[in-house]
Amino acid sequence: MKHGGVTKFSIQNLLGPIIVLILLTHFVGGASTSLQLVTQMALCLFVMVLALQVFVGNSGVLSFGHGAFALIGSYVSAILTAPVNIKDNALSMNQLWEPLVSPQVNIYVALVISAAVSGLIAAITGIFLMRLNGLAAGIATFALLGVAYNVFFNNKKIGPGSQALPGVPLIDNNWILLLLAVLSLILVYFINISRIGRTLRATREDAMAAPALGISIFKVRLIAFIISGAVAGLSGGMYSHVAGTFQVQDYYLEFTFITLSMLIVGGSASIWGALVGTFLITAVGQVLLMMEQDLPVFGIQVQIPLGSRAVIIALTFVAVLLWRSGGITNGKEFRIPKLKKIS
Amino acid sequence: MDQKSFHANEISKSFGALQVLDNVTLNVNPGEIVGLLGPNGAGKSTFINILAGYEKQDGGTVVVEGKPLDGLKPNARARAGIARTFQSGRLFGNLTVAENVALGAIGLGESGKVAHERSESILEILGIEKLSPHAAGSISHGNARLVGLARAVAAHPKYLIMDEPAAGLNEDEAPRLLQALEVIRKNIGCGMLLVEHNVKLVTQACSRVVVLATGILIFDGNPRDALNNADVKTAYLGNAGVH
Ligand SMILES: Nc1ncnc2c1ncn2[C@@H]1O[C@H](COP(=O)(O)OP(=O)(O)OP(=O)(O)O)[C@@H](O)[C@H]1O
Ligand SMILES: [Mg+2]
Repeated sequence: MKHGGVTKFSIQNLLGPIIVLILLTHFVGGASTSLQLVTQMALCLFVMVLALQVFVGNSGVLSFGHGAFALIGSYVSAILTAPVNIKDNALSMNQLWEPLVSPQVNIYVALVISAAVSGLIAAITGIFLMRLNGLAAGIATFALLGVAYNVFFNNKKIGPGSQALPGVPLIDNNWILLLLAVLSLILVYFINISRIGRTLRATREDAMAAPALGISIFKVRLIAFIISGAVAGLSGGMYSHVAGTFQVQDYYLEFTFITLSMLIVGGSASIWGALVGTFLITAVGQVLLMMEQDLPVFGIQVQIPLGSRAVIIALTFVAVLLWRSGGITNGKEFRIPKLKKIS
Repeated sequence: MDQKSFHANEISKSFGALQVLDNVTLNVNPGEIVGLLGPNGAGKSTFINILAGYEKQDGGTVVVEGKPLDGLKPNARARAGIARTFQSGRLFGNLTVAENVALGAIGLGESGKVAHERSESILEILGIEKLSPHAAGSISHGNARLVGLARAVAAHPKYLIMDEPAAGLNEDEAPRLLQALEVIRKNIGCGMLLVEHNVKLVTQACSRVVVLATGILIFDGNPRDALNNADVKTAYLGNAGVH
């Protein structure tokens, strides 16, 4: 078992996953309209899994609360960009708070604000959450998800409540989504090899020994939590511009379970693991979804009962936890081979 | 007491009804290697934990270079120049040996470059540079003890506290540890407190030795005298841990 993580900058390690991401976006994302949407959603989820990787992967502290940051990011970006008439009409019966109706900003400005607001909320909640350990930390992060969900689900003054906010402008461009994913990847890569990433992995390995080296567990966890929260916020924002709506339910239990599965199955110790986990579970999920709907998969028609998808992903998750706790990639980064000079 | 010394003054500690330390006073001067001997359960690890901030004393104070450390957390004491090793090693098992040692410097705010260089040179000085790329969890027990020492030293501490670094070492490995201590004394020059069961190692490595028995300091002086001291002999009588 090796969850070491990379500590020194290597252009090959950085370019490896980026090139795979480009190839996936080009070949899968360009294959058909339905695959284009699946790819766009996978890119959003990848950013979310990167957010989990930088915190959970390095600290070893499981967070069930990151859905809250995606939810907030998605909400902020949607409410700042949805057309005024839609906010006015669709939400008039919901008594949307007046000052929220008129604001209109550019999609990309909205995404930056999403990340900033989610990062800020992560900072405020992290001051309390990052003092906890083990089981208490897990439960407290879960409570954060519960609070965020319930506030938005039940409060129609700030958003659509249990309904959807439609008309969120689309980023209908694979390459822009890819660019956002690559920027997030580069950020997370540099955090992973930085002092924060390295000391955080030390606290994961031995929380007793790390302070003897001058490391403040609270401080490094908090910094990673804030960065992670901001990236999760960006992911939520991206998702609202892919789906074209904002809906609270999209960021609750299933979302939390799926994104954590992606992280753990792929391998939480590396960016490559985040990439493999996201796209593998997306692909498997997509195939199983087609089977549930009795659609042919590569010409073969196999029907499976509704709900099989969730069960199979859950079983894969458990199998990985049992037999390969480092995930499929087992902590390795994918390196592009060095080009040999011909002499 | 030297203004630059590491000083524990009248430290007392009880766990419930069990008094583990009773007014223990100890002084380590800059560059000095002091041995702390004592049978199992004498309170040695508890004393170290109090010095390093892992445990709170009931009474007494800990001072380094005239600055009181009481109330400071372990990470703050590390920043004040106190490094420690653990009786159970506590290496970062999934990280490489090089990274384990580098973290000793990174934790205190050194740049990645400095930490890397320091890690390389310390491992080389200790003669274990070949282990660099291996996961710390995969190396032999004897080597792990040396890596633990290297990691603590990478911080360039003013004072280094070691909790039984020779525990579990075989006849071949113990001399390597002795050598390592000498190298550290020469290259880093930190004051050291060496907690040990291994009397032979202590007499060879230390210029002064103190003996703790059931929480009370019963001896402070020359290593050779310790071996002939009646109180020390009684404290150790029938104790299987002495070599
Ligand atoms: N957290 C604790 N709670 C209760 N009792 C403790 C605790 N820590 C240590 N003790 C007790 O205090 C006494 C001293 O323990 P300590 O570990 O300091 O001894 P030691 O000299 O390091 O022994 P060894 O040579 O076996 O390492 C022992 O009787 C031990 O059982
Ligand atoms: Mg002990």
